[in-house]
Amino acid sequence: MKPQILFRNCLAPFLAMSMYAASACADVVVVVSAKSAITHLTAEQVTKLFLGKTATFPNGGNAVPIDQAEGSSIRNEFYSRIANKTPSQISAYWTKIIFTGDGYPPKQLEGNLDVRNTVANNPNAIGYIDRSVVDSSVRVILAP
Amino acid sequence: MTSIFKLIVISVLASCITVAEAAEKDPTSSAGLVADTENAVAKPIFKLGGFGTLGVSHSSQGLGDYVLDSTFPKGPGLSSNWATSNDSRIGVQVSANFTPKISAVLQVVSEYEADSNYRPGVEWANVKYAFTPDAYIRVGRIALPTFLYSNNREVGYSYPWIHPPVDLYRQLPMTNSDGLDASYRFEIGEAMNSIKIIYGRGKTDRPTSTSTAKDLRGIFDTLEYGPATLRVGYQERETSTLNLLTGVSGEWVPNSDLSIGAIYDAGDWFAMSEWIQRKSTTKLNAMYLSAGRRINQYTPYLTYSRNSQASFLPGFPAPTESAIQNAKRSESTASLGMRWDFMKNADIKLQLDQVHLGDDSNGYLANVPAGVILYGTRFHVISAVLDFVF
Repeated sequence: MKPQILFRNCLAPFLAMSMYAASACADVVVVVSAKSAITHLTAEQVTKLFLGKTATFPNGGNAVPIDQAEGSSIRNEFYSRIANKTPSQISAYWTKIIFTGDGYPPKQLEGNLDVRNTVANNPNAIGYIDRSVVDSSVRVILAP
Repeated sequence: MTSIFKLIVISVLASCITVAEAAEKDPTSSAGLVADTENAVAKPIFKLGGFGTLGVSHSSQGLGDYVLDSTFPKGPGLSSNWATSNDSRIGVQVSANFTPKISAVLQVVSEYEADSNYRPGVEWANVKYAFTPDAYIRVGRIALPTFLYSNNREVGYSYPWIHPPVDLYRQLPMTNSDGLDASYRFEIGEAMNSIKIIYGRGKTDRPTSTSTAKDLRGIFDTLEYGPATLRVGYQERETSTLNLLTGVSGEWVPNSDLSIGAIYDAGDWFAMSEWIQRKSTTKLNAMYLSAGRRINQYTPYLTYSRNSQASFLPGFPAPTESAIQNAKRSESTASLGMRWDFMKNADIKLQLDQVHLGDDSNGYLANVPAGVILYGTRFHVISAVLDFVF
């Protein structure tokens, strides 16, 4: 991790006393089921899936993104690293999409284990979790 | 409201109620989202949401009313020192997903109308059929996507300003169209391109006139790549204006709008710009340039916008005296503002505008008494809003 990015993602929220509590600097990785054919995606491709700009993987398969709970530090870190967006920006983005009738944000699950288990059981799912809970049921396809 | 449109509204309402009942009986229905989409059993999902803005503004020019566009009967200035009419509204949206392919949306918005009331009106009511996740058609009352922020111009929480830059957005106050649209999006390398076509008719109510648009047809292309968005749009329609004071309807006049817009949003800072060329019996253009920076929950921004005078196009009957006067309207606005995301799903904004009226008119000020000449003068407008979504 570049020092500048470390500062932005991990230290800045403490220094700024941001209203969005960041409890720890998690090491976030993007995962799919071990049963999925996907082996690697770029940050741009993952961003498009999580922001609903596409609903399919580059190989044409349906994609079901699984988000983490709003306000969680891993979610804030994921969007900061992947799309350089703050929680308010993500919230404003989905407000625009919802109230233009263009869609709804991905389903949210509570916590790394829930996301890992759901992703593991669904070959179409894509999620992000802390590296420490990765096991053989899921495949890491990007470490943003 | 045409009878076909009434029918659509009633069917959307009826289907939403049916789905609401279904959703109540089956609290697990939203679990369908995570199901393997190949094998998903279609369970209706019903959603209710809303947005609102409470705003107040003051104008230093007491000889006319500062209004955002020609649909407002009055505003701050002459009629009152402070007014809530320019930026206050509330909207409620109900949507229903019947199957992965068929969904419906109904949006009702209450805001200050041309006849000085806040009576709620149907902003959108349409049924959508998605052939694939990337291609759909919609039938009913649909947002008219003239500008970059047309679709969400009523949802203050979704953009940085108090309202989208007035000198450009006031050029087409019509926000929806009754008819159909079709959209298709596809990847070009890592970029995402979406193309939309629309066909329909629309109506704009003003304090002393009503404009009807028919044969409205348009094509809009949006290209997104990382922080950059580029948009080009073109639409045509035939417009006739009914003068409510005389009861006389004008001829059908061909109108067209060519619009180009771009956004660059790098996260910490952002900039956007739009340009439009509008043609009817006259031709004019309008533009704005805006930039801002996000500093934690604060977003200061600067905007400059302007519109040109209109020039008369050949091939139409000689213009009336009031049309000649209207064509001379030009304005420019320099704005300085700040958005504060003080809590989840809500923000507070403050904005100071310096408005400069063109040299040959009183600009877009409303209700200026006869004989008052404010040509070339400047005045200030200060506005504050609270935006929220639920």
